[in-house]
Amino acid sequence: MAAIATAINVLGVLFLSHAVYSAYEHSLLPSASTPPPLSHSLLPNSLDPKITLPLDITLETLFSVLLLCAGMVLSSADLKPIQWRVWAGTLEASQEAREVKEVGVGGGNPYQALEERVGFWDVRGVGKATRGWMDGGGDKKGKGRA
Amino acid sequence: MPAPYLTAPISADPRPALSLAAQAPTFTTSQASSWWSSLPYPLTLFLNTESQEKWTSYENLFLACLRTGDYPTAYTCLEALIARFGKTNDHILALQGLYQEATAQNTGELEEVMKAYDEVLREDPTIFSVRKRRAALLRSVGKAAEAIADLTVLVDASPTDAEAWAELADLYLSQGSLEQAVYCLEEVLLVMPNAWNMHARLGEVVYMSAQKMEGGDQMKALAESMRRFCRSIELCDGYLRGFYGLRVTTGTLLETLQGAKKGQPTTSDPLAGDLAPPSVATVKKLNAVATAKLAEIVRRGTAGEKGWDGYSEAELKAAKDLIDRDTQRIER
Repeated sequence: MAAIATAINVLGVLFLSHAVYSAYEHSLLPSASTPPPLSHSLLPNSLDPKITLPLDITLETLFSVLLLCAGMVLSSADLKPIQWRVWAGTLEASQEAREVKEVGVGGGNPYQALEERVGFWDVRGVGKATRGWMDGGGDKKGKGRA
Repeated sequence: MPAPYLTAPISADPRPALSLAAQAPTFTTSQASSWWSSLPYPLTLFLNTESQEKWTSYENLFLACLRTGDYPTAYTCLEALIARFGKTNDHILALQGLYQEATAQNTGELEEVMKAYDEVLREDPTIFSVRKRRAALLRSVGKAAEAIADLTVLVDASPTDAEAWAELADLYLSQGSLEQAVYCLEEVLLVMPNAWNMHARLGEVVYMSAQKMEGGDQMKALAESMRRFCRSIELCDGYLRGFYGLRVTTGTLLETLQGAKKGQPTTSDPLAGDLAPPSVATVKKLNAVATAKLAEIVRRGTAGEKGWDGYSEAELKAAKDLIDRDTQRIER
């Protein structure tokens, strides 16, 4: 999906730049300055460029814009869950959601602090248990949730 | 800053704490010996080495070193924190207290730590971090009744502190006063109503208290426990602990309901907020749902599918044992 979206974006940019450059090149031709058949324009006289462009340049511009819109939508990031239970479910079930990459981002279940309770941490008891576990050989295989 | 420094090493699993403590010395030396920290004052204004991650990492490394017994490195981290935040900062006072508690060799030194806490609280009674450490120290030396008294004063002063209520519930539970523990956990839920793990915890404690009761009261307690687990599942899709609890409580409820078929009608007083006991059909359906979901989680978790790898081995094994135990009973 990402590859297709990037390809569509690249094509869109190519077509857009091609159309814009073609319009510029065309505007330099003398035949372009003949006034268009329907000479009423919505623009006031001073702002009206009075240039006739061939139809295919216009179509190419529109086509490239459509391609770029489609490419940008397809290449955007996945939507995040807005239902509480879905979000909570991913925190409990997936290891990735528990990683803390920045302060305040990620970190798993925010209510886990109510069960771990840092403010009341029993440093002596936990320390003794950890040192006992280390002296007893620690763990042989490193599997399971960290 | 690599990610592991940002999680506090206080979980039951000692392995992350070990790996953190191993990396602590390199971290502290790298922070101290960088050439920019020895520049004179005006030039240091142009260099920004501060970040939130830096001080969170220092604190987590400090906790990990205290846990594994590496006191010199812990002291280095503490010194860096004091240099940055000052000796009289609330949180730093608590960390200093932690260090002194960890390095105390005998009861005499612990008494001195307690006196230091009392001294700080005499000057400023509103430092909650030191109040919490005082209660934790009392619990650590075994004076549970005094710890409970201390915590009661704390929650009286600050009723929205969910952590203090949770600790009080744990203390009451360790002393066997299940009713008070249930009350404290309900207070936790008042402050944090969407905490799915606290709903599961309350369900567990109510189930424990139900096993000491008889008759109509037991039915009510079992029904309440079942409802708590249902709420935790509503709040969290695929919550293993919730489904485990649901399975256990519905199993016991089915046995009790079938045993009391002709027995006492349980009175439900709508004015007092009681709910009618659930019907046998509902309980059977919940039991079936819980069993199916547990089987699915065990299957997917042990296969290690993406998005299902967050369950610990111990949890999955316990769930598997529960399912197997009941299938054995049916087979026999």
